[in-house]
Amino acid sequence: MPSLKDIKTQINSVGSTRKITSAMKMVAASKLRRSQEKAEAARPYSSRLEEMLASLASSAASGEGIIKLLTGTGNDQNYIIVPVSADRGLCGGFNSSINRETFKLVKSLEGDGKNVQIMPLGKKSRDFFNRVMKDQIIESFVDLNISNTGYDSALQVSNKLQELYFEEKFDKCILVFNKFKSAISQEVTKQQLIPLDVSNPSKEENADDSSAKAIYEYEPDEETILKDLLPKNVSIQIFKVLLESDAGEHGARMAAMDNATRNAGEMIDSLTLKYNRTRQAFITKELIEIISGAESV
Amino acid sequence: MATISFDLVSPENLIFNDDVGTIIVPGKDGDLGVLPGHSQVMSSLRPGRVMVYSEDKNLVKSFFVSGGFAEINPEKCIVLAESVVELNSLDKSSIEKEIEELGSNESKESEEQLSIAKAKLEAITVSFYDKI
Repeated sequence: MPSLKDIKTQINSVGSTRKITSAMKMVAASKLRRSQEKAEAARPYSSRLEEMLASLASSAASGEGIIKLLTGTGNDQNYIIVPVSADRGLCGGFNSSINRETFKLVKSLEGDGKNVQIMPLGKKSRDFFNRVMKDQIIESFVDLNISNTGYDSALQVSNKLQELYFEEKFDKCILVFNKFKSAISQEVTKQQLIPLDVSNPSKEENADDSSAKAIYEYEPDEETILKDLLPKNVSIQIFKVLLESDAGEHGARMAAMDNATRNAGEMIDSLTLKYNRTRQAFITKELIEIISGAESV
Repeated sequence: MATISFDLVSPENLIFNDDVGTIIVPGKDGDLGVLPGHSQVMSSLRPGRVMVYSEDKNLVKSFFVSGGFAEINPEKCIVLAESVVELNSLDKSSIEKEIEELGSNESKESEEQLSIAKAKLEAITVSFYDKI
């Protein structure tokens, strides 16, 4: 039987763990609100850019130079997969689900005979792929810290990707990230970044008023605008995904810490019960000893 | 006189959104004056000033943008810019210092930054109308 002191120590340690987890939960909740606001603020820009791109996409028939971001290289052999994870743990299944899905995707593409390379964003996926398929990592970015550095860090990633693309290191780029559905649920989503996926539903909506779009004048001309627009679109997509993943991370951490706090509370209750029982047992035992001692005299 | 709705958007947030009288936008091939009822134009921008004038033709706000796009139709003008700063928050001496530093560096990236910095300097030194 554990001594009273042992149980007391255990109660105290669980109690301080609970304090930490509940503090982490509150921090995550306030960060979640902030990053949600950020994601909200970024929306007008990306939706406008998408609309512009949709009205221009039809004019890009030839596949030369920068336009290749839209039309593709014509090949389908070399893939680059970009898993987007968090830099920190303690957020439930957030990181492991990204890693698992990416791993599955890589294996299935390799099964089809494609060459796959990985460019992890975030410490958790970098560490994972460093362990399981180190030689396939082409580049990694950690500590992007999107909610503080903002657009610049997305730009870094996008510049690197475009550099690799124009060196013809890959034909297709797929992002794997946690889509923010609500504060407590995230959905692992795969999005084709390069070449641009024109079957995007938000663009189909725009197809309805294409008659109104067609009468735009372009200055200097459609091709020049498209050449400016396409690289920006890649950066902004990455920016959007990073923000979404950041919000998702805080949501996931909040849920995980909420659970941990509740579990700690239950544990304290059962330990307190055990403590009281043990104490009572000691008292009873001592009483019995005294009584039997008195009887024998 | 009618007004035109004007949005200035950066990737991080919506910077300006109001009904105004006139906007001057730095188009790639030259400045565009946008008034209500402007024809539909889509233009890319060079680094330069975006000037916003109210209905009674007084200057409301002035911004520096490092490039981007403008979408204009008779009721609305939308400017998508990558980096936006208010013109009066720019400091001449620090820009000059930046130009000097970038001038000694000869990578392609700093060349681009240099042209932006030069445009910045031009934006604060060249005079503009407070009232049109």
